[in-house]
Amino acid sequence: MQPFVLKHAIPAERSSASVPYAYSAVLQLNVLSDGRPAIADHAVLLATGTTTSTAGSKTHFDD
Amino acid sequence: MTVLILTCRQDVTADLVVAELREQGVPLVRFDPADLPDQAGLSVEFDRGDFTGYLSTEGRLVSIHGVRSIWVRRPGRPAAHAANPSEWLTAECGQALYGMLYATTARWMNHPAAAEPARHKPFQLRVAQHSGFAVPSTLVTTYPRAARDFAVQCSDIVVKSASGPPTADPPVTLPTTRIDPDTDFSDVAAGATLLQRYIPKAADIRLICVGSELFAARKTAGSGQVDGRFGCHGHRWEPVDVPARIVRSVHEYMALTGLAYGAFDFAEDADGLWWFLECNQGGQFGFVELETGQPIAAAVASWLAGPGAAHR
Repeated sequence: MQPFVLKHAIPAERSSASVPYAYSAVLQLNVLSDGRPAIADHAVLLATGTTTSTAGSKTHFDD
Repeated sequence: MTVLILTCRQDVTADLVVAELREQGVPLVRFDPADLPDQAGLSVEFDRGDFTGYLSTEGRLVSIHGVRSIWVRRPGRPAAHAANPSEWLTAECGQALYGMLYATTARWMNHPAAAEPARHKPFQLRVAQHSGFAVPSTLVTTYPRAARDFAVQCSDIVVKSASGPPTADPPVTLPTTRIDPDTDFSDVAAGATLLQRYIPKAADIRLICVGSELFAARKTAGSGQVDGRFGCHGHRWEPVDVPARIVRSVHEYMALTGLAYGAFDFAEDADGLWWFLECNQGGQFGFVELETGQPIAAAVASWLAGPGAAHR
């Protein structure tokens, strides 16, 4: 017998693409390969889904 | 005076606030507790009736008496990145870090003592009732018979997880799902189950409260869409005015919980009534800001840069 709610679990979408930015300790924020802050490119952020509310991230469920 | 941001490196939503603080000329240190003790350090000393201390990370040093405010965003577990991580090491480093931060006079967004109960859905629902929100009938139970009776009483219900999806390989997720009233509920005995009356939605609402400032966004729901996070149908988040009674209830909720930040989710029904679903004390605002242009990061930065709490 498994918990009732788990009968309604579905496979999570795996993110195959890596994010096109990396953390800069100097700037204390993430930067794109061309040196611009990642937050300057809204299309990238929306495409990667890293600012979205999901059904529970891996580390924090209260998104 | 410095703003201390507790979060992980990959948190680009925090980047929005970092940029705003820099724009305002406010010093900040971004610190991930997971980096203790190898890539980050701390020290605190109690002597002659006073105490001193500091945190260091990536070449930056901040005195704990120089911390203006603390933003708990997406911190890693203390010592999670250590060469030899363990539950004990996490506990030791967590005691040291959060203990010294609790001892400061800095203001918190959100204080862990307020955040901890606020993460729990049954608590949220009760506070929401006290705050005057419309709250869907909800049952949390381990009794199959209670679940059956609730399903009959409501006729149309959903099931949702209280704590998010389990750790599994391959990974799974748990969207809010409609349940047939004739379903076999015997498995309810295998774990606490949260059932709620289904609210047919015209739209999803996410409302961000920063201190006393409110920012709300609305997204039209797809036909039959139950969980706004799944099955998007091309609709976008758009700014929406907050009804006066919701404003009052949000402020009441924040006062009752002691939260400085909250991300509220509502289901808007066909009559325009906003039904309270939950309040995520650390909920995302990045996607709302990016899609609607509402200055939420600036509001968070201004709150963090504001005057400190009273000295204890």
